[in-house]
Amino acid sequence: MKTIKFCNHGLQICKEGILFWLEKEIAIVSDLHLEKGSSYASSGQYIPPYDSEETLLKLLDVINNYKVSKVILLGDTFHDKNAFLRMTPKVRFLFEDFTKKYEVIFILGNHENKIKIEGIKFYQEYIVDNIHFLHEAIQKNINQISGHFHPVASIKVSSKKIISKCLIHSNNHIILPSFGEFTGGLNINDPVLKSFISEDANIYFLTKKSIYKFSNKDIESQY
Amino acid sequence: MSENLKLQPIQNWLKKNNWFFYDHQLETLNQSINGHDILLIAPTGGGKTLAGFLPSLHDLINNKFPDNKLHTLYISPLKALTIDVHRNLTNPIKDQKLDIRVETRTGDTSAYKKTRQKEVPPHMLMTTPESLALLLADTQAKEYFKFLRYLIIDEIHSLVNSKRGDLLSLNLSRLNNISPNCKRIGLSATIKNKKSTLNFLSQKKKSKIINIREKSSPKIEILETENRVPWSGHMAGYAITDIYKKIKLSSMTILFVNTRAQAELVFNKLWQENENNLKIAIHHGSLQKEIRRKVENLMSLGELDCVVATSSLDLGIDWGKVDLVVQIGSPKGIARFLQRIGRSNHRFDEPSEALLVPSNRFEYLECISTIASIKANLLDEVKDKEGSLDVLAQHILGVACSNPFQIDDFFLEIKKAWPFRNLKKQTFLDVLEFVRNGGYSLKHYEQYAKIGINKNNFYAIKNKNIRNRYRLNVGTIVESYMLKVKLGNRTLGQVEEWFIEGLNEGDTFLFSGRVLEYQSITNNNIIVKSTNSTHPKIPSYAGGRLPLTSELSFQVRKLISKKEYWKQFPNQISDWLKLQNKFSGLPSVEELLVETFPRHIKNKKRYFLICYTFEGRNANQTLGFLISKKMQRMGYKPISFVATDYALAIWSMIEVEDINIILNEDIMLDDLYEWLEETPLLKKNFRDAAIISGLIERTIPGRKKTGKQVMFSSDLIFNVLKKHEPNHILLQVARNDSYRGLIDLDRLGDFLKRIKNNIIHKRLDRISPLAVPLVLEINRQTIDKSEVDEYFLEELENELLTEVGLN
Repeated sequence: MKTIKFCNHGLQICKEGILFWLEKEIAIVSDLHLEKGSSYASSGQYIPPYDSEETLLKLLDVINNYKVSKVILLGDTFHDKNAFLRMTPKVRFLFEDFTKKYEVIFILGNHENKIKIEGIKFYQEYIVDNIHFLHEAIQKNINQISGHFHPVASIKVSSKKIISKCLIHSNNHIILPSFGEFTGGLNINDPVLKSFISEDANIYFLTKKSIYKFSNKDIESQY
Repeated sequence: MSENLKLQPIQNWLKKNNWFFYDHQLETLNQSINGHDILLIAPTGGGKTLAGFLPSLHDLINNKFPDNKLHTLYISPLKALTIDVHRNLTNPIKDQKLDIRVETRTGDTSAYKKTRQKEVPPHMLMTTPESLALLLADTQAKEYFKFLRYLIIDEIHSLVNSKRGDLLSLNLSRLNNISPNCKRIGLSATIKNKKSTLNFLSQKKKSKIINIREKSSPKIEILETENRVPWSGHMAGYAITDIYKKIKLSSMTILFVNTRAQAELVFNKLWQENENNLKIAIHHGSLQKEIRRKVENLMSLGELDCVVATSSLDLGIDWGKVDLVVQIGSPKGIARFLQRIGRSNHRFDEPSEALLVPSNRFEYLECISTIASIKANLLDEVKDKEGSLDVLAQHILGVACSNPFQIDDFFLEIKKAWPFRNLKKQTFLDVLEFVRNGGYSLKHYEQYAKIGINKNNFYAIKNKNIRNRYRLNVGTIVESYMLKVKLGNRTLGQVEEWFIEGLNEGDTFLFSGRVLEYQSITNNNIIVKSTNSTHPKIPSYAGGRLPLTSELSFQVRKLISKKEYWKQFPNQISDWLKLQNKFSGLPSVEELLVETFPRHIKNKKRYFLICYTFEGRNANQTLGFLISKKMQRMGYKPISFVATDYALAIWSMIEVEDINIILNEDIMLDDLYEWLEETPLLKKNFRDAAIISGLIERTIPGRKKTGKQVMFSSDLIFNVLKKHEPNHILLQVARNDSYRGLIDLDRLGDFLKRIKNNIIHKRLDRISPLAVPLVLEINRQTIDKSEVDEYFLEELENELLTEVGLN
């Protein structure tokens, strides 16, 4: 875990990509993209249907270790509007276990257009202590924590290129990496993402074993 | 010539050219008339192709055949070969005004011509295994091939025991059902596995091998030079001037190299020497096909002085006017070299001539061994392989696209394909379900199944769209994602995506024989401009490097082991070995020499461990992975390793004291399975299998994934399958391919047995003469990536912290 000072609060990021606000007992996760695998079947690509199970188990495995009562999902929890219907009984069971155990806040993501699931309310935005929880970052001077972009960074070390998911902390913005098992990534040098990253932003590089903190300048200077 | 053969037109044409029939050509014809399927094994230049076509020509000349029906199908592994054979066959047909229409059909054939060929088939069609698969997936396939009388497979030795061969064999079995009376003729270079190649061709009782031996053994020499043979490298720059002299003296030279990067560099260097303005051209697989065709054309007209080529010119094409074959770098295998030599000269009864140019010192040893092996008539052995299930999956979809099938009949047909003779019914059913709906027994997947089952238990594709997509995904060759290289409006050819990733704007590289400056990527095109730069960054390509065969590596070990053999070497080579002997040591044929010494890389002290196995690159690579895995566990922090055909060099942060603990047979075999599961190789093979089997598509109409996206998602699928279905069909395929291909397990096993109690460990304070070529070798292999990344990241973070004064 590494601590991030954000709006005078101490938030903590774990290497799996979940952000904790422990004084409020909140865990924040983004872009689970549940049932992404099964979504390809309709186009004749039979991607294995095990990603939701992996994603939920990994999520529960981490947050069960902390004192958390509320989980904020920053959108694109479901890969498409029919994702919930495709869940196998086992996945459905895991999902219900999760929503029973925690108070889960669902932010609406762009993949969830027109989604309707009984008993689930989707929020455009959710606010705690002047911090806005959104799916996609906005160019507005408010304290915001969002997801959507699936940021990854690549770092050249000793002529090797290492690519990993990352969390971006830029002034009053935090952008979380995607958490879902089958999610890809967008490089932080992509112009779309770059517009949200100030020069002195911090990039938390998440690997299998640990978290490494770099300044945006360190990474940029490699190009 | 026998009385009962009527071949007047062909004979007239031969006579006109002062040619005559060879005995084996007539024997092939006679045996075929007698109803035999024939495997003709003959050295190149023996008139093999004409022998293959004689029975078919004889039939067309003498017997009635319905017009506008396909009579003869010719299959070759190379597009270029279909074009060449087409040209050679058209000559007598035109000359004698025979009413025989001959056409080619490959991936390069225009859509218009393809449609016309379907409506009005030629008498003879020349095609590749992939185009055949596509023809057979057509709904009209049965009608199209119903009248087929002759099937000729050229260069059949290069197709058996490969995935391409698996695909072809399945389609051969299909053809057998459509046109059971079609006679087959296989044409092959000299090979060791004769019987299994015949079985691949035909399982009829009436089948025969006709084996023609070379009448005189080839003349092969190693280039004599005043210059120093370099320690390492693959470019043979030292020899260019001498080679140029030889080119000047011959009328046409083919200069073979092993990789495309070599081709570019050698070509460039030759032009720098080219004061006489000789016509020197280049030919390799990355070049635009128009450029390649142009070179081939000029060659057949005899208008070139020299062509620098990779394996793209290896097979079959007879260039009558070539009188010198030069091989730069070791040919790495005996059969392969014989095939290349065969390009020269050639009348069947004259010996071929070839010149070997080793590009470094180890290769010098190899070249001597190659010549010795050819003199002793030794051949490399290829192990027979079982049919791959990913190819079967592709075939199942292809058949479903063509015609509805029933399970039992179809299974029998598949079993008749030689590589699939041992296929179990249950495995077949599993693959079928995998193709139909992924095999997950989930309602949602079944809803979108590609193949449906009708009331009468016939299996058929659900809609036309599936056929269209099958067409885009056919084939067993999975190449790296390629980008077009554009100079102005001209497309020069293609390079792999990863190559360009390493380039920055303004970097220069050699391509298509020019030095180009990289500018940008736009719409998947690499935009370049010409430059006067003389120090290009050379492209190096993934393909083309073949490992040393075990026969050759044994010969090399033998050469090194005894001083008396060194007399045949030039001084610089024998001095090198003498120096090594004094400084460290040289192993006997049975021994393994291991050296350890410290060395600085970028100001950091590293510990090198070198094993001189001489077991070929693949076995060494596997050994490298295994040893580094072991070193990782024991805390030596290995950083990287280099595997060549001769040796393995590993460097680590901490010194290894006891070699015997690390090179222990039992412990290493325990690690193997676990290790294989983590290697990038398995992931790569999985990705290929996922694409071949159709799990992931190459292209989707109107949308093209980048190579990277395909890579990414196949890795994710791989991880999830490993956990949830460790015995998934595609994981089985990937494991088998890894064991068989790049891992060379058997060879490694034999090696470990051999070196037990036979390890000589030399502890040195610096690098030995024998180790210099290895340390210079740039081809670094990554060890378990995530592990090493962690070390580097630790180092980098510490460095950065020190820099800002926090550490």
